[in-house]
Amino acid sequence: MAKYLIRRALWMIPVILAIALVTFLLMHAAPGGPWDRDPTRKQLDASTLAKLEEQFGLDKPLWRQFTSYIFGDVDEEGNWEWGAIGGNLGPSYRQRGRTVQDILFGINDNTTFWHSKFGYSLRLALLSFTFAIVVGIPSGIISALKQNTWIDYLSAFIANIGVSVPNFVIGIFLIIIVSVWLGWAPVVPRDWGSINVWIMPALVLGFYTTAFTARLMRSSMLEVMRQDYVRTARAKGLHETLVVDRHMLRNALIPVITMLGPSLAGLLTGSFIVETMFGFPGIGREYVTAISNRDYSMIMGTTLVYGVLISVSNLMVDIMYSWVDPRIKLD
Amino acid sequence: MRAKKRCTQLLALLLIISILAVGCAKPTETPETTEPGAGTSETSSPVSVTTDKTLRINLNSGYPDIIDPQKSSFMAEIAHLIMMYQGLTAFDSEGNVIPGAAERWEMNDDATEWTFYIRENLKYSDGSLLNAKRFEYAILRNINPETAGEYGYITDEINGAEAWRYGETDEEIAQGQETVMQSVVALRTDGTVCESYDDPEGLVLKLTFSRPVPYFGSVAALWVTFPVKEEIITEKGEDWWIDAANHIGNGPFYMAEMEPQVRTTFKPNAYYHGEMAKVNLEYSYITESAVVFQAYQNDEFDIISVAAEDLATILNDDVLSEEYLQYAGSCTFGFIFNSSKEPFDDPKVRQAFAMALDREAYSRDVLSGLGIASLTWIPAGLPGSVEDETRWGYDPEAARQALAESSYGSAENLPTIVDTYSDTARNRLRHEWLAAAWKEVLGVDVELNPVEPTTYSALTKDIETAPQLFLLGWCADYPDPQTWISAYWKTGAQAWNMVGYSNAEVDEKIAMADTSLDQDVRIQLYQEAQDLIIADCPAAFMYHTTQAFLVKPWVTGIEPFAMDVLWPGSYEPTSVDIDTSLLPQ
Amino acid sequence: MKAQPLPNELTEKSNSLWHDAWLRLIRNKAAVMGVIIILVFAFTAIFADKIAPHNPLEINARSSFLPAAWVKESATGKSGTTEFILGTDAIGRDVLSRLIYGARVSMVTGFVPVGIIVVIGTSIGMIAGYHGGRIDNIVMRITDVFYAFPDLLIYIILVATLRDTTVGQMFSGLLLLFIALAFVSWVSVARIVRGSVLSVREQEYIEAARAIGAPTWRIMMRHIFPNVLSELVVIIAFTVPRMIIVEAVLGYLGLGLRPTTNPEAIFISSWGSLMLEGQSAISAQPWLLLAPAICVGLVVLSFTFLGDGLRDALDPRMKNT
Repeated sequence: MAKYLIRRALWMIPVILAIALVTFLLMHAAPGGPWDRDPTRKQLDASTLAKLEEQFGLDKPLWRQFTSYIFGDVDEEGNWEWGAIGGNLGPSYRQRGRTVQDILFGINDNTTFWHSKFGYSLRLALLSFTFAIVVGIPSGIISALKQNTWIDYLSAFIANIGVSVPNFVIGIFLIIIVSVWLGWAPVVPRDWGSINVWIMPALVLGFYTTAFTARLMRSSMLEVMRQDYVRTARAKGLHETLVVDRHMLRNALIPVITMLGPSLAGLLTGSFIVETMFGFPGIGREYVTAISNRDYSMIMGTTLVYGVLISVSNLMVDIMYSWVDPRIKLD
Repeated sequence: MRAKKRCTQLLALLLIISILAVGCAKPTETPETTEPGAGTSETSSPVSVTTDKTLRINLNSGYPDIIDPQKSSFMAEIAHLIMMYQGLTAFDSEGNVIPGAAERWEMNDDATEWTFYIRENLKYSDGSLLNAKRFEYAILRNINPETAGEYGYITDEINGAEAWRYGETDEEIAQGQETVMQSVVALRTDGTVCESYDDPEGLVLKLTFSRPVPYFGSVAALWVTFPVKEEIITEKGEDWWIDAANHIGNGPFYMAEMEPQVRTTFKPNAYYHGEMAKVNLEYSYITESAVVFQAYQNDEFDIISVAAEDLATILNDDVLSEEYLQYAGSCTFGFIFNSSKEPFDDPKVRQAFAMALDREAYSRDVLSGLGIASLTWIPAGLPGSVEDETRWGYDPEAARQALAESSYGSAENLPTIVDTYSDTARNRLRHEWLAAAWKEVLGVDVELNPVEPTTYSALTKDIETAPQLFLLGWCADYPDPQTWISAYWKTGAQAWNMVGYSNAEVDEKIAMADTSLDQDVRIQLYQEAQDLIIADCPAAFMYHTTQAFLVKPWVTGIEPFAMDVLWPGSYEPTSVDIDTSLLPQ
Repeated sequence: MKAQPLPNELTEKSNSLWHDAWLRLIRNKAAVMGVIIILVFAFTAIFADKIAPHNPLEINARSSFLPAAWVKESATGKSGTTEFILGTDAIGRDVLSRLIYGARVSMVTGFVPVGIIVVIGTSIGMIAGYHGGRIDNIVMRITDVFYAFPDLLIYIILVATLRDTTVGQMFSGLLLLFIALAFVSWVSVARIVRGSVLSVREQEYIEAARAIGAPTWRIMMRHIFPNVLSELVVIIAFTVPRMIIVEAVLGYLGLGLRPTTNPEAIFISSWGSLMLEGQSAISAQPWLLLAPAICVGLVVLSFTFLGDGLRDALDPRMKNT
């Protein structure tokens, strides 16, 4: 096990480097740059542009920009400055004066990690994730056990709403019902310190994942229920709950786990809609606007963060496989 | 059983983690949920004067990227800056230049030397002295090429600024810098040079220009001259602006608290030289207009801007229609033809395409009434505007006639016309309407070509890849026709860069207008220049923007101004008040 | 590896297997309902130009945001007319006609790229999962890379480089859209399939099949693939609506359907773009959003029922149930 973990951890290095390289090449190949302004605005003059390019190191050759971003470079005074491997994700092109790590993880004197943008997003993602598991898995199991009954159809119907309607619309309807009609929570939360204002954003963010979890759980339960060994177990006269427990759940969980692992990373970084609707101070905005702004450091920084999250969650998924189904060997 | 146990344990663990994560992370200082229109009183502020009334405004532009006077340029950024700082001059709600930090100013006979006299005993929001030296620093910082601000160019007329900013050789740059240092000088009242920020006698700022700038009074009101403190920037670094405590300004408010992306609160600055503000301000940054509209109806905001899609609903509602506030804005939109590309190099084709567009129908159907149909460039109500323009208005017959008279003769002979645009839901509707209108009136098939916004910006920068026509928009930086005519239509300015527009006669008028000292003569000259520009038909001018807001009935004292930034009365925020007797219980 | 011809006995057996499956399928009411609804939508899509009451591109002046026909007075104070059954959009175009035409783009973008994604993802996932070890590790690390880099950049670059070429112009730009979507979206399918295969391949009957020397491809097709079928149904059901919306979002990047002024064109509007337009107008004209959302929902629900029905029908073990 330890050997496997070490090997997988070492594998993350080339994976992350590959992600960084691909992203770096793609973003420089994309037309336009960080200071392109739409033609209805005053355009930057050539010398200001040149000055900015120099300040941000865009005048260096591409390979040098890449290595200095990832590993580091010598600054003007001749001192070594670490790059991304030293936790320095570079200066933001758009939010000038700030570094990417400060924007994503920065806190001020009287707040904790949980109050950084990343911390906010992490909290919301965990809440949505928990919701997806606590609601999705049991309802998937129930609809599988009660296949083709009203309860199965109802959960299919609700899951269907979750995927067919854009989650912006789910949000609007939730707002109208919860805030306007019932008056349980304000439309726009004033204070993210109280727990009840988190519920609506978490629902909006997590609805799709929950629906997916429920449906996937149902179908893989049905699949497992038909397997010979389950039939054998039943035939042997084992108690039904024991059959469900020992023989079905474990195997049925595999696709759900596969899907849920990366979806945690997706929930963490995909809160853009929730941010525009509720004014939630997460990192989703940075992910979306970085690319359209061509904010190169921000694109690299957010992608690296996401890449690490994905690699780690996929590693966790692989470990969980052998946990729920001991026949799967890690090697 | 074990698998299930493991599962339940896991579920419990997850639940606990996420609840802990939410629960334990209560901020150390929890602002209390406030009643509509009411705020909490603050005792730890730099100044002990407080009000318990809070005006809650939503900025539909979203959270600003940077709040640094010499580097900002977007609306959201400026909406913050003008609350906290004030320039040498200011604008009143009619667009007149009025005294700001300077109580008076004078220029020499050819407008190449301006002298500003700063008010005596002027103070920052922390009580420290504000003298002319502070403005000297702000203007130098704006010119300094290292600052690389988007509005750095706006003070280019200062002697030496161009050499410093655009110089080819190191020598030229050093020379330019030297000249600028001598052209922007803070003086003591006795005429000697003011050396210190603590010198209460340093009340004179003298600026020397390389050419006459009769409109500089307007430029001096812009955010680029806002007197940020040098020691804060030196000490805190380039990201000084992210911390509310570092915004020590001289405007009607000071920033009390800033929670990025969530909320910013401003409180009245007791050291402001003018009338003291009556309310606290609170900015929120929700960009989804449907959500904002719900929140407004739920009494969570006092002022919001109105989206075109909601307008009909508002006007049909007895309550909301009473709260609706609409007035002329300060931007012009139109479709500019690329006269360096076929077929728009033929003026007859441009005229035909312009005359095929029904401006009234466009404003009514596409903009839902949030626009004033127009055939001119300078918006109505701003200095230099003309009322009776009729050229290239909607006239299908004349449009077809013009196309027939063009060198192409008919719609069939026109080369393919591709309408490339930056794609958003609104832009798509606009361009689909446009293509339909051209097809209907002229029988021309225009190919619609939506592209990603930044790709589009990149395309338009190079005259080689620039589209054949595009949506143009321009907004006033200051209420002087100079910002409309010279900054856009002069050879070498925006329109020249984009579509190669150049007209020697126009340049001549502009040169005279920019340097003339008599304001009436200047406006006359700019109007003549605009007249010549319209004659060339470089663009189909479509409409002037409107400002449209919902304002709760308890908000009083709003002074609307065409150039208002994101909320009505933003240029005279001190007169805004809340009538607590009207607040809902 | 050479494919061996199947013995006669086997083919005959599978023929009757198909027959049984068919009987089971038509006895499943939900599945039959699903087929009917999908056929209705397909019919609508094919004959959109005959069915649509109006020209979907026609702009009716002074008629923006008319409500649906049965609405007496909408929030905007306008009342519906029978001329526009589902009302009009922001510039006065008939919503029903745009919805009917939208079926064309959305049925195609809903299913074609999903088909490609499923084929690619399933093949890669099965190969990685079945072989395991080194192959699995390499393939999965590649999926990690595909997961992480920003898709948006790929789309932007594809538009910039390929849109004006022949490939980019094919099928009103839809081909390029499909390629782009397939290129970035196969990874999650591959991972889910691989996860299931990891578990299935350890089961006794696979061991048995291997022991009697059955060729790998046959084990995969005969014994492993049926086990991932039900997961694939769910994945497809969840990817279809996503693609329909993504098509509209990518339209804003210039990828996919180009807007047209030609009423003779085959592809004119799409459900996704109707929904995006409808989002901001939710108080003025809710049907702009609701109508396409209901259509997407119906298609997905029908597909879910049909897919489940098919899966049950194809499962020989269901014979007696």
